[in-house]
Amino acid sequence: MKKETMKTIINKLFVSKFKVTSLSLLYFIIGMALMGGIWELISYYTKYEIPSPKMTWVVFKEVMQNPMQNDPDYKGIGIKLISSLTRVGIGFGLGTLISIPIGLLMGSNKITMNIINPMVQILRPVSPLAWFPLGLAIFQNSPKASIFMIFICSLWPTLINTAFGVSHIPQDHKNVGRAFGFSRWKYISKIMLPYTLPHILTGLRLSVGVAWMVIVAGEMLSGGIGLGYFVWEEGFNGGSVAKILVAIIIIGIVGLMLDRIFMALQKRFSYAV
Amino acid sequence: MSTATNFATAPVNEIVMNESAAVVKPIYNATTSIEVNNVTVSFKTPAGKYTAVKNISLNIKKGEIVSLIGHSGCGKSTLMNTISGMVKPTEGKVFSSGVLVTKPGPDRGIVFQNYSLLPWLSVYRNIYEAVDSAIKDKSASEKKKLVEKNLKMVKLWDHKDKLPGQLSGGMKQRVAIARAFAINPSILLLDEPFGALDALTKSSMHIELLKLWNLDNREKTIVMVTHDIEEAIFLSDRVVVMNNGPAATIKEIVDVPLERPRNKKEIVHDPEYRTIHDKLLNLLIEKFSIEDITD
Repeated sequence: MKKETMKTIINKLFVSKFKVTSLSLLYFIIGMALMGGIWELISYYTKYEIPSPKMTWVVFKEVMQNPMQNDPDYKGIGIKLISSLTRVGIGFGLGTLISIPIGLLMGSNKITMNIINPMVQILRPVSPLAWFPLGLAIFQNSPKASIFMIFICSLWPTLINTAFGVSHIPQDHKNVGRAFGFSRWKYISKIMLPYTLPHILTGLRLSVGVAWMVIVAGEMLSGGIGLGYFVWEEGFNGGSVAKILVAIIIIGIVGLMLDRIFMALQKRFSYAV
Repeated sequence: MSTATNFATAPVNEIVMNESAAVVKPIYNATTSIEVNNVTVSFKTPAGKYTAVKNISLNIKKGEIVSLIGHSGCGKSTLMNTISGMVKPTEGKVFSSGVLVTKPGPDRGIVFQNYSLLPWLSVYRNIYEAVDSAIKDKSASEKKKLVEKNLKMVKLWDHKDKLPGQLSGGMKQRVAIARAFAINPSILLLDEPFGALDALTKSSMHIELLKLWNLDNREKTIVMVTHDIEEAIFLSDRVVVMNNGPAATIKEIVDVPLERPRNKKEIVHDPEYRTIHDKLLNLLIEKFSIEDITD
């Protein structure tokens, strides 16, 4: 029973495309073991300057104690995680609210595409870090600046994918709308949005990945409560490499989970013709 | 020769070719369903102007089944799209029941080449959304009844909640036909409707189409694009043979005066069927044996 639920969880998170068979579970274990082995070797050759998996595990358990501890002088890891996720959620949410409509507008019309696209192409490659001081100048507040940074960086993938989706609606689908005289609203709700949804979700999946990556940098710069600040303050400044490793593992797993949520949504809303 | 046959074989056409488009009036009477009047369609392409069909005139009577046949790329779909209103003629005009065609309308039901069902809508919703858009003066419950009636007609009521991706090719085509019938058009336009189906499914679809047409007292005009000679003869009253494009014209219109209802098995033994079949074959194909290959 317990084994079954583990299987389904692993199934959903890691190998959602295929059913978990004993074989794929075995491959998963081999992959993890390989990673552990390489890690162990690195620890050994750095004379445990980089802590071994075992040493890290001890620290991990320590960090995991009282995750929801919420004292003024110490916040548990759960509180930090929630704080980071909240920032990502706000920045990414605001970004989505803006990028989807603009993407739809951009994709549905050649003129808007030609007007908006150059702006996107110039702003998109800018490093997330460059936006931070700008946010600071605008808001005079570092947590808001890191949300601003996430907001800007999570705009582009959604915007570009949404625009791509809308501009690639097959002529066959458009013909149905024309042939049966669909109203503008019916065209949008029954043809444009359903066709574009998987593309939007791909965009969101990439955006949330970027946002999650950027939050660590943002929190390192802005301080406050969160995983990024945890890496910097308790890990690096606190002299505990193990804590840095613990944070990396937590950040990685949470990032993977966010990715899988959007991947599952994307699959749910893709249709065979 | 081809321009001459255009007119010789279009019995009710009284249009003089040189008459300017502005003074052309439809020669509408109760029996004319579609009038294609000196239609030319050109497209702009990167390589310059491409004329798909040129100076085509054709009249189709109410309740008539007409096939457009020709080689790939001969512009038969383009010609049909001018009737549906999906393509605007560069020159000339098309009238549907005496009304100038400027865009698609509910008087003309279209069945597309590749079914064109919306993959995210159930079979039921696919038809309902079309009915809902095309028919303005009915209540929601009347529209639902229409959907039900038409889905039952093509025997797909049991599959109404399935998505198109879960259906076979033949079933998808039946949904597309039910969708076109559901808006109760006076004209049905079928663009290579059975091209993607296997021979057996195709055969039964022919019978089903004729049955639907019969149920409707043979009042619907049907225009069908095909490249299948047997299909064209079995279904049609007239077969319009097109020349190869570009600038395709009508090569000849062949009457099919075979009695209805037709029987798939028996019709092939009818001497008249054989004659028509050979005639169409001669019009469409130049080489019949390896001995005919000269180069």
